[in-house]
Amino acid sequence: MKRLFLIALLIVAVLGLPVLAETKTLNFLEVMTSPERTVMIKDMIAEYESGHPGIKINLISPPYEQADQKATLMLNSNQPLDIIEVRDNTIKQFVNNKKLANLGKFYRSWKESKTLTPVAMMAAKTVNNTLYIVPQCIFVKALFIRTDVLEKNGVTTVPATIADLIKTCEKITDPSKNQYGFAWRGKSSEMKFADFFASAGIDDIKKDALLYSETKNYFTDSRYIQGMKAYIELFQKGAPKDGINWGFNEQINGFVSGTTPFLIQDPDAIPLIDKMLDPNKYIVVPVPVGPTGIAYLDYGFTGLGIPSYSKTQSQAWDFIQWMSSAEKNGYFCEHYGALPVQSTAFTTNKYFQGKHYAAFLKEMTTTSKYIFRPFPQSSAKWPGWGSIHEADMQSILLGQTKLETVLTKWKEYWSK
Amino acid sequence: MSKTTYTSLVLEPERAARSAARRKKAVFTGMRIFLLALYLAAALLPLYWIIATSLKGGREIYTYPIRYWPQVLTFENYAYLFKISNFHVYFRNSVMVSLLASLGALLISMLSGYALSRFRAKQIRLLFLLAMYFTQIIPAYMIMTPLYTFLAQLGLSDNLLSLFVIYTGMMVAFSTIMGSSFFAMVPVSMEEAAQIDGCNRIQALFQIIVPLVLPGLAAIFSFAFVNIWNELFLAVMLMSSDQNLTVPVALNSFISKAGVSWGVLSAGIVVSLLPTLIVFAVAQKYIVIGLTEGAVKE
Amino acid sequence: MRHKNTGFLIVLMIPAFLLLGLVIFFPVVKGVVIAFQNYNLNNDLSMVHFNGLENFKAIVTDTNFNFWQIIFNTLIWIYVSLFFQFVLGLILALLLRESFRGRGIYSSLVFYPWALSGFAIGLIWAWMFNGQFGLVNDLLMKFHLIHQNIGFLSDPKFAMMSVIIVNIWYGIPFFAIMLLAGLQSIPKELLEAAEIDGANSVKRLFFVILPYIKATIVSTVLLRTIWIMNFPEIIYAMTSGGPSNATNILATQMINKLMKFYDYGQGSAVGVMIMMILFFFAMFYLKVSGAKEEGAA
Repeated sequence: MKRLFLIALLIVAVLGLPVLAETKTLNFLEVMTSPERTVMIKDMIAEYESGHPGIKINLISPPYEQADQKATLMLNSNQPLDIIEVRDNTIKQFVNNKKLANLGKFYRSWKESKTLTPVAMMAAKTVNNTLYIVPQCIFVKALFIRTDVLEKNGVTTVPATIADLIKTCEKITDPSKNQYGFAWRGKSSEMKFADFFASAGIDDIKKDALLYSETKNYFTDSRYIQGMKAYIELFQKGAPKDGINWGFNEQINGFVSGTTPFLIQDPDAIPLIDKMLDPNKYIVVPVPVGPTGIAYLDYGFTGLGIPSYSKTQSQAWDFIQWMSSAEKNGYFCEHYGALPVQSTAFTTNKYFQGKHYAAFLKEMTTTSKYIFRPFPQSSAKWPGWGSIHEADMQSILLGQTKLETVLTKWKEYWSK
Repeated sequence: MSKTTYTSLVLEPERAARSAARRKKAVFTGMRIFLLALYLAAALLPLYWIIATSLKGGREIYTYPIRYWPQVLTFENYAYLFKISNFHVYFRNSVMVSLLASLGALLISMLSGYALSRFRAKQIRLLFLLAMYFTQIIPAYMIMTPLYTFLAQLGLSDNLLSLFVIYTGMMVAFSTIMGSSFFAMVPVSMEEAAQIDGCNRIQALFQIIVPLVLPGLAAIFSFAFVNIWNELFLAVMLMSSDQNLTVPVALNSFISKAGVSWGVLSAGIVVSLLPTLIVFAVAQKYIVIGLTEGAVKE
Repeated sequence: MRHKNTGFLIVLMIPAFLLLGLVIFFPVVKGVVIAFQNYNLNNDLSMVHFNGLENFKAIVTDTNFNFWQIIFNTLIWIYVSLFFQFVLGLILALLLRESFRGRGIYSSLVFYPWALSGFAIGLIWAWMFNGQFGLVNDLLMKFHLIHQNIGFLSDPKFAMMSVIIVNIWYGIPFFAIMLLAGLQSIPKELLEAAEIDGANSVKRLFFVILPYIKATIVSTVLLRTIWIMNFPEIIYAMTSGGPSNATNILATQMINKLMKFYDYGQGSAVGVMIMMILFFFAMFYLKVSGAKEEGAA
């Protein structure tokens, strides 16, 4: 009798316990990984879990360079995922394959959606004007300057215009002393730099929604040609020849070593540079403007979305909403080195008013001078455009092809 | 006088020949040492740079002019490597998977490699050989998606056992091809003799023939081990949980949007080289054993 | 009796082919099918259909990445790398044949390049070959061998040579170890007999040593040809095919199409081209080298 009772108790215990302590596990794939960032997200998850018993979040962190491909593989084979980090260059294909849930209904009941920065709102609606993600990090470029190196070369002013920048670079360049001006970007996403320089002279882009697109582009416009010519001159007279093969690492190397005291980069370069260089040796200022006093800035972004097939969408949203509050997002971006998506974070979090971040804040708030125009990321011509641009640009810089020939080719590529 | 003449006539040329041979040998030895030193220098230059970088603090990595040795020697990168990630877990996973998969491939290929070296019919042999080479000509990227989808549907992704099976499969063809080339050097008469002595064919293979090709097998094993040890792509795509990651995945994670973390990556590369150096050193012992004298006399 | 023998040998091959079928033969069918479809991640994948040879046509007629330049680069990449890897690997193997003190440690140290992964090699050498603050330029300047930095990776005249040097550096150990293992199987009596017959060392190398390890040479050379063709990591990390396509080979073009264009159809088409070229080469090579007769030594 006693044994029977014990067995009954055991059965109740075995069957009952899971019901009592049922935990929902959410799988979260991050793609902009770095070891430090992963540790930080894990800590934030632990904090969230302690406030939400019954929820367990399982973080998957593939290395940055393979992460987008892993995300694609997992989504396309409907692997268990509930929260996924989506970035500017993958959002289109995820949406095309109907892998992302429309978050519109969640946004409506979310109070802090009203305080998202305009850039963050633009990023959220990148594809089909539909809210597929909640942006987490915004990347905007600013001008980094090694003031100590400039002083040594007798320069004390900060270039405000592109023409100033080019002139200063040419002035300090002296190959015999290994001194150059601009940390050139010759490969992997180099078109972002070329586009910045070449488009600054074109007023009309203000009226467009995108920097260029199939319907409207300026590759053969005389102002664009002028901009490109100036940019090429910068390479020839103010940058190291080796820049043709420079990516991010080489740019930073050039800046930290002082070889190239001018660098245009995202805010996540700040924590990196601070590790390698005395923070007092450099300043960050808004990007220089073109002849008409404006500059067009693109922006990179990453955000959180919910796979359309996830069965725990409301729990996933709760976590995303928690991550996206001004406090959490501010904390996250401060340590990761991105711009926060909540406008209130700029005022409540002192860090973003700090010396090196002020430039980014100014760019985001001075709408008359710095105009945000995204790349045509949802165009079918966009994927691979970077590699085409890179090969063509290198060919121009090497003197193998004429600028005009390439520009006509680009025009055709985008108009066809 | 006559005695000296005799000596000079008979002994001098012999002595001269001997000293010429000695001189020739000295030149050879000198050249050999010079070449060995040259190989060593060329091989070590990047390793030296990795080690120097791994001992530098952040402020010294991108300095110009280049610092050939850190001004302030620091082990912070090594400490950081084990602090920031579960590197010891990845290390254990990698050692296990690499050892088991390369041994598995070696065992399987002892059978298939031996068989391949013994087919008398040329057509059959060529067919099998081409099938083996065919597996090598396929770019890894082409089988990635189908393989992943297949495993994911069976719920076998994120499982170290799957990784072990795949890695074994990836190494089988190479091991078979190389194995067969080594088995081919052992005359058939050897095993026929063993069979007359009452061994069955499998016994003859493992007791008589395998010991003869031990140098080759050791070479195959060390290469299979190293290839698996370095495999990145499949490991990234198939493994998700932190406790299932391998060393190459961990090393690659030190490359982020904000570039390469040179200090800690270099430290990671140095640490990850240790097991492969041990494998090479141990395998090398077997590779140079050579055959016991007269073993291969027909 | 002979029939029974063949049957037994085929049984021995079963485990190998079971595993290969599962891990390689089965998945590759799907991979090849994609090459004949408009499989592009930017389109809705539920609309994927067969498009005949469209992908192949697109690759061959690509105006942005000249196909014939890529083929030319691929050939240079393979044959120059292979030649030096083999010759230098053979010399190293011969040097390591005779025992000397510390040979174990020495060979570990010269063999370690093979123990690095392709991406690590590419990254480190890209840094060392940097045209502005690279170690190699700095050393050459220090020894007064050059007076001006060389753009190893940014100058199209040097770029291919630079990535090939790295590939040679990486590949020597493979030949050295495999050939060394082969050399150890040569019976001492054979060499002694040749010496007594008055053959000098060059003659011994070409008429005794190399013929004896022919099977090893034949397989290592073919394996390496195949592997080098399928080895984009070094180039991808060092130049990503640039400057201006100067180092773009079929394997890097495949990655370009897969990872940047998200065009899996065209990417797989390049993959199929690689497979076809290598398959016909392997058949031809095995026939000419007479490898099929090696069997019963």
